[in-house]
Amino acid sequence: MTGVVWWLVERASALLDAEERDAVRGDLAELNVAAGRALREVVGLLVRRQLRLWTDWRPWLALAGLVIPLGMLLSLISRQWANTNSIYAWLYVDNWTWSYIETAGARHDLVQICGTFLLECVTLVCWAWTLGFTLGSLSRRTIWVTGTLFGAVLFGGTLGSSTAGLRNPGNAAVFSLIIYRDGFPTLVRTVLVLVPAVIGMRKGVRQATLPLPWALISAVAVVTLTALAAPSVKVSVTWGWWSTSGEGPAIRQLAQLRDSWQLRLLPMLMVWPVAYMVASATRRHWRRQSATA
Amino acid sequence: MLGEFEYLLLSVTARLGDEAYGAAIRAAFEQATGRRCSVGALYTTLDRLEAKGLVQTWMGEATPQRGGRAKRMVRVTARGARQAAQFYRTVVRASRGVSWETTRSLVR
Repeated sequence: MTGVVWWLVERASALLDAEERDAVRGDLAELNVAAGRALREVVGLLVRRQLRLWTDWRPWLALAGLVIPLGMLLSLISRQWANTNSIYAWLYVDNWTWSYIETAGARHDLVQICGTFLLECVTLVCWAWTLGFTLGSLSRRTIWVTGTLFGAVLFGGTLGSSTAGLRNPGNAAVFSLIIYRDGFPTLVRTVLVLVPAVIGMRKGVRQATLPLPWALISAVAVVTLTALAAPSVKVSVTWGWWSTSGEGPAIRQLAQLRDSWQLRLLPMLMVWPVAYMVASATRRHWRRQSATA
Repeated sequence: MLGEFEYLLLSVTARLGDEAYGAAIRAAFEQATGRRCSVGALYTTLDRLEAKGLVQTWMGEATPQRGGRAKRMVRVTARGARQAAQFYRTVVRASRGVSWETTRSLVR
């Protein structure tokens, strides 16, 4: 038991800066502090350190501007896209017949569906990576908290809601299978959102700012993908956020907003992390230019 | 104006002189006050004192007793000594003419 507690002390103190970790672990060893108390003290120090970091505006901006709105949006979009593609997977994988490629029209449908699926995968990865990078850059030392909260919003943001596709009795054959109902959305969120976001966070924490050419390339890619995916984002927020009890969007007002300009602007939200990346890369570029001039 | 805990840490650090580092300060504090001093309270207060320019800290040598880990050494600066002296004088001035033994019995 004591071994486990010391292991926890080791893991917790790994979150401290290298010098402070050395000083704290050395003090605990020198004073022969019991394992339980050592763990309480290290956790206490971590909490105090975190609280102090949260007196700065950056972690709050990361939380209010990225984690909550974009985490929620990615949660809805990934589930909606997973559900839509589940129906196609059921059709083309579980119920494959050669007639799907016999006629030109059928082949065209198949190619179009596969293309859309690939485009959605790439879009999710790009959104998640740029969000993760900006989060890491904005809240470097609070990334454990903001990153965990992002994961919680991503997986918990759609709890207590359903999608129009899931509630449609016509899709019962697909969603009666647990692999399509729960497995595929979880897989999509993990592989296409969480993993790229974590990779982006690590990069953002280490690097903070991308070189300007890379930031511009990322911006062009994200803006193009967002423009292509824009109609689908609107659908995800309305048809992909269905009430589990009644028929209609989880937030009733969304039904009235379906064709509004507000919803048309919603995909722009996905662009703001990359806009921040370009802005910070440009600022650094000009600083360097003026320093060398 | 210093806080009570800040003043106590400055006093203990000044008393330890060249031997003032995390574990030693903590042990001396607990012995002098009979109060517990957590690692969190100690290091966050030292950070605050350092930010105010009242102490100076640096990483010292590692010892086998500490599992080969370095010490965070602490020294009170001239400014820190002035502020601690001012705090002490204020407490002495404010306490003049007060007998806490008598006061406690009066409240009872």
